[in-house]
Amino acid sequence: MLRMHALRARPVLAFAIAAGLAAAAGCGSSNNSGTSGAGSPAASSGSGSQVNTSQCGTKPGVKATGTPIPLGGIVTNQPGTSFTDIANMAAAYFACVNANGGINGHPIKYAIQTEQTKPDQIAAESKQLVQSDHVVGIVGNTSILECTIDHSFWEQQGFYIVDSGIAPECWSTPNSAAVNMGPRYSSDGAVQYAISQHVSKIVFDQSNVPGTGYIAAGPVALAKAANVPIVQLTENVPINDANSVAIKEVDDAGPNGAVILNFTPPEALVILQAAQKLGLENRVKLWGCSTPCNTDFLAHALGPKWNHKLFVNAELTPPDGTNTPSMNLYKAILAQYGKKVSGGVGSFSQMGFAEAKIMVHALQTIKGGYTVKSVNAALKAVKDFDTGMLCKPWTYGSYPMHIPNNEDYTVTPDNGKMITAQGCTPISANDPQIAAYRKLAG
Amino acid sequence: MPGWQDFQPFIVSGLALGGVYALSGVGTVVLYQATGVVYLAFGAVGAMGALIAWSVTNAGDPQWLAWLACVLFSGAMTLGYGMLFGPPLARRGPLVKAVATLGLTLVLFGLMDLVWTSNGGASRAITLPTDNGGFLVGQIQVDWTQVIGLAAGIVIVAVTAAFLRYTKLGTAMRAMANDREITATLGVPVRRVEAAAWLGCGVLAGVAGLLLADLVALDATTLTFLVISSLAAALMARLSSIWLTFAAALLIGLVHDLLTPIQALSNYRDMTPFVLAAVALLVLSRHRVISLQREET
Repeated sequence: MLRMHALRARPVLAFAIAAGLAAAAGCGSSNNSGTSGAGSPAASSGSGSQVNTSQCGTKPGVKATGTPIPLGGIVTNQPGTSFTDIANMAAAYFACVNANGGINGHPIKYAIQTEQTKPDQIAAESKQLVQSDHVVGIVGNTSILECTIDHSFWEQQGFYIVDSGIAPECWSTPNSAAVNMGPRYSSDGAVQYAISQHVSKIVFDQSNVPGTGYIAAGPVALAKAANVPIVQLTENVPINDANSVAIKEVDDAGPNGAVILNFTPPEALVILQAAQKLGLENRVKLWGCSTPCNTDFLAHALGPKWNHKLFVNAELTPPDGTNTPSMNLYKAILAQYGKKVSGGVGSFSQMGFAEAKIMVHALQTIKGGYTVKSVNAALKAVKDFDTGMLCKPWTYGSYPMHIPNNEDYTVTPDNGKMITAQGCTPISANDPQIAAYRKLAG
Repeated sequence: MPGWQDFQPFIVSGLALGGVYALSGVGTVVLYQATGVVYLAFGAVGAMGALIAWSVTNAGDPQWLAWLACVLFSGAMTLGYGMLFGPPLARRGPLVKAVATLGLTLVLFGLMDLVWTSNGGASRAITLPTDNGGFLVGQIQVDWTQVIGLAAGIVIVAVTAAFLRYTKLGTAMRAMANDREITATLGVPVRRVEAAAWLGCGVLAGVAGLLLADLVALDATTLTFLVISSLAAALMARLSSIWLTFAAALLIGLVHDLLTPIQALSNYRDMTPFVLAAVALLVLSRHRVISLQREET
């Protein structure tokens, strides 16, 4: 689950975003790049290990030894905000492919660049990938600023990026297509669910970071179309006065209203816990949250008082209880090759899996050499591809903007786990951006 | 402008927030009184202790063991820092001493980020048994942890003030904070007295870390930098009066939360500690009652 908030000052930004992408953020820091190709297999474990990972490639058990196909990705990795799990999961998928025939015998060589929210560094890394590493495709990008900084460069170079978006440009430019919905459309989903429950008023509260206006525009449009009053609030993060925040939200929403949060998991948690301690959880009709809240960490920390009281938008198929071949393969690859994926099963690794699967599918359609031109033409041509992680098939296409993931789930805490409260539901076209995309994509 | 009715819940939450600042601010002043060091790592040490406690609980061990681990770690870490860096920095000015503790803060912050990463949506919480009981004030539930937080501030202030004033060790600490060398020449076992001050501060940081992890958030960043807001209360009290620090912390908490329902000012309420501290410093410096500068030898 992913989403992102951009930040106003880097440290603060890290929080908000960190959280943003999903529930999310971490740490570590290095501006060096790492190269992953065939990672050493980790010990198998978990339910997914019962699945044979050899089905990720076309020649089970045959190691690819041909000329490597160089790919690259750029992810934020700084104290408080780390999206390396996404790229590392993509690397795990590629390692699996390489161990099982590769792409027509060619192994994938995947270079991961990490950045620390520095525009000059991001610009340098994208150039390094293209000019020094000679990558032919970009996949797995997950960065607070990368889409904003690099989208023009990718357009000039003819690269079509498959990423996990954070900045608005990840959805609003022609050469970026994300597997996630991001903060705006995920907030749309949470507001949409609240409206469907006939709330009389909505309070939409989010981190006070750059881009709040862009994010809030979606929920405001949805509420307006439904004739439901909406109050917009922003909070400085990290929040150290959660009590007053919770009181204000509840007071503004009223007994038949809804409070919708767009925060990282730690920030959402402190607000919800404060509400609980103050006895406010039942003073509104329902609480909602955008995708970052969709973690079992949060459900566990909140406890049973929030069972079926909090409703969280979920951009990706809930891994628990989903017994599909793709979900089982994802878990099996994670268990066998995902040693570096620190968060384990979760939205970050699901996104990495989906992006890598899209890339492998595109590569397998290429007849002839693997060049920038052929690889990116193949990516652009991906249509109605089943990632196994999203509500509906994923399409790139030749559009000036891309919101290929625009249907979602709603989940709710249930004794420490998130369970599905509502199945796949299209995000309302009352958000003008969604309407514009559907008009383009048909 | 909201009516009186609208402000009432924020008085309760403001006092709770003030109690939070007081816990942290008082600890800072206590150590300053005893050693002359503005201990900026107070929050980071407590945060790491609280995260260790979370890990212990998460591993299935009893809560009392987790609390003990938190306090022991905080005490040991602070004592270790004090013993290692206290003597070499003893002759340096207060600014140098404070910045040195900032180094410890950053090291611990980085460590916490590495060990307790929030990648993958990790969000942690510590709950204390006292969270489950309480009473209503108006329409707002007040739990016993909040009461303990506020009471702990008062108790710590009272006990520390009495300790520093009436005990031999407390007198030695104050003397040493004033002039380490003269105190040593008078036969006071400087190293032992310093060790006691650092250890006491560390234990206080651990207790505060546990309470704040429950009252505010179990988040390394939040707890580490909460000390900055708390420092405002300490500055308003000229780093010299523990009681004034406590009162200033409550004032900051109250003003901060009472601004929340005022739409035009709500987004600026986080400036409260700094605005009040700046005003206090301006007023105090005008009357020449603040003196942070020490002899640099």
